[in-house]
Amino acid sequence: MEEIVVTAEENIRSAERNKKEKKKFKPWSSNDWVLFCMASLSVVFLAVFAYAPLYGLVLAFKDGDGALNIAQAITDAPWCGLDNFVYFFTEPEMANIMFNTLGLNILQLLINFPCPIIFAVLTAELLSDRFKKFVQTVTFFPHFISWAVFGGIFLILFNIDKGLPAALYNMGLISEKFDILGDPNWFWWLIIGTSLLKGMGWGSVIYVAAIAAIPQELYEAAKMDGANRWHKIAYITVPSIAPTITLFFILSVSGLLNNGIEHILVFQNTLNLDRSEVLDTYIYTYGLTSTNNRLPRYSYATAIGLIKSFVSLFLLVLGNAVCKKISGKGIY
Amino acid sequence: MHVKNAMNRFMSKLLDLKSALYYRIKRAAVPLISVIVLGFVLTAYLANIPVSEATDELYRTLDGIFYLFCGLLPVAVAAGVFLGIVAYKRRKIYLMRFNKSRLNKRVYPFDVVLAILMGLFCLLCIYPIWYVVVGSFNQGADYTSGGVFFYPRVFTFENYKIVLAKQELWHSYMVTIGRTLLGTFLSLIFTAAVGYAMSRPNLKFKRAFYWINIFTMFFGGGLIPYFLIIRSIGLYGTFWVYIIPGLYSVYNMIVLQSGFKSISPEIHDAAVVDGAGEFRIWWQIYMPLSKPVLATIVLWVAVGHWNNYFDTMIYASEKNLWSLQYYLLQTINSATGKEGASEIQQNLNPMTISLAAIIVSIIPVFFFFPLIRKNFASGIMVGSLKG
Repeated sequence: MEEIVVTAEENIRSAERNKKEKKKFKPWSSNDWVLFCMASLSVVFLAVFAYAPLYGLVLAFKDGDGALNIAQAITDAPWCGLDNFVYFFTEPEMANIMFNTLGLNILQLLINFPCPIIFAVLTAELLSDRFKKFVQTVTFFPHFISWAVFGGIFLILFNIDKGLPAALYNMGLISEKFDILGDPNWFWWLIIGTSLLKGMGWGSVIYVAAIAAIPQELYEAAKMDGANRWHKIAYITVPSIAPTITLFFILSVSGLLNNGIEHILVFQNTLNLDRSEVLDTYIYTYGLTSTNNRLPRYSYATAIGLIKSFVSLFLLVLGNAVCKKISGKGIY
Repeated sequence: MHVKNAMNRFMSKLLDLKSALYYRIKRAAVPLISVIVLGFVLTAYLANIPVSEATDELYRTLDGIFYLFCGLLPVAVAAGVFLGIVAYKRRKIYLMRFNKSRLNKRVYPFDVVLAILMGLFCLLCIYPIWYVVVGSFNQGADYTSGGVFFYPRVFTFENYKIVLAKQELWHSYMVTIGRTLLGTFLSLIFTAAVGYAMSRPNLKFKRAFYWINIFTMFFGGGLIPYFLIIRSIGLYGTFWVYIIPGLYSVYNMIVLQSGFKSISPEIHDAAVVDGAGEFRIWWQIYMPLSKPVLATIVLWVAVGHWNNYFDTMIYASEKNLWSLQYYLLQTINSATGKEGASEIQQNLNPMTISLAAIIVSIIPVFFFFPLIRKNFASGIMVGSLKG
């Protein structure tokens, strides 16, 4: 009995060896080379723009703050261990910044994530096809305008001296001018509101597509069985688009430390810094800009970026695991 | 008698569902009617508000045009009402002919409420744009007193005159157009090449390529190390910083790859039998076959290029490399800032001027939007593919 097993194992091993040798000695055809070169383009690109920056992460463990030449900082600056990270956790401002980052993101997760889904479900309920198309066209339009312009419009509209607050004040509707742009307490709602206006239509695209892919027979059968509109939404539409929702939920959760920096920078000013400074803007301000009494702090900003990357990765894995447990489906 | 007969024949032809006459008339009449109505509203408005630097002659011409439209308006309204009645009758005939009762489409209160809510949201989405249009046509000095929200109070083209004469605007316009065209084109070819290779089952080391790509989606170095790379390979402060870092995106590659995979392998086999190499198959067969997917990627990449201002802010802050969006942001910021307030002189208001600049900058988007809209159905399909 044992002998048989041994010979079988040997057979397998020799077969594997043969296979390997065959693979080794089979020359590549020209087509193989062409494909290989085409795919290698990505490796070349990523080596420069994705993997080389990973080497730049050593800056997080060096004291390169205020270096005159950032490229030299990476080689010349002295090692400083975990000082940058320690500094990050002991910085008194940091609690506020983390509060802003998480608060704004969780608020967006609660409002800006479900809204496009609800919007898509509701547009599907519209009776007139022509009106449906009209609504989609109009709500998509702001997506094609940049944050510089769309945000800029609101900077002018809410301008305290000449915009809406002043007009309402002059009409006597309000007793005190409200400063949406300068008051820190308004800032989160400003971000939520503008991103809803700009992104809700476009964000619903993916769900509209998912709803369009649901076979009509399901609805007809449900109607035969006496389902009303609410039943159809709750038992057909929503379950059918649940996988799409799951996917985008995981992606949203993994971005819990990322804020749209182009969006926030438009509205950020010295007055609302209390609520508008988030990790992304902090990294940008401290890492890449300088003021009269402060040089760019490359190492410090790199360290924060590194923490952010790790947390994002962790959240992605976590979100995926949770979704797998609940719905049996994840993204990998 | 003859006239009455002719009228009857005309009516019956209009009401004939098979005849094309109705549609021909409708196609001609609807634009005409809307032009007349719009013209009436516009001239009625212009004739009754102050127009900056207007002479009496201009007012007289405006009045003349206004009276002309006043004459035309009843005709247009009558034609509109007539068309409406005909349309209503045709619908009735249609419903009777095909035995469709309108009860199929019962309108519940819910539908009405929903339609109204949707309409309101549309208004909310479009109002910021309207606000800009209104401000850009309003005289600068008058604008400072505030309260211009729904229509220009003192009409003027002045703001546009000033904006269009600005060299910087046109320069940044050119930069943005250049980066959008070149960047999108190169990025499409580069990403599609990789996507094609990754879609072939006979690619060597496929798993290695796959993981090298996927890893970058999950973990990145962050802003500062990226900035460092841009600086040390000499892209900083050149035009190419807009193009080269955007050449490739793993996400777009995956979308393109799934597009290429959906093309049936028999086509590939047939091309191989005919003696085509992989490169040729990609370029001459697969690329033309996947136009819808390519159009979607073009849309994403082009919109990204057009709207980006952050690149300019960190990598190309010299003035001759400013992109349009960055230029606009600077203009708006200086107009709304404290220092902007003192600049008002000789009717020049930086606020209305920057509003005019915004309009000038989104005209191309208006132009391409219908095109984008058309390509949309295909784009949605791709989106659902990767989802």
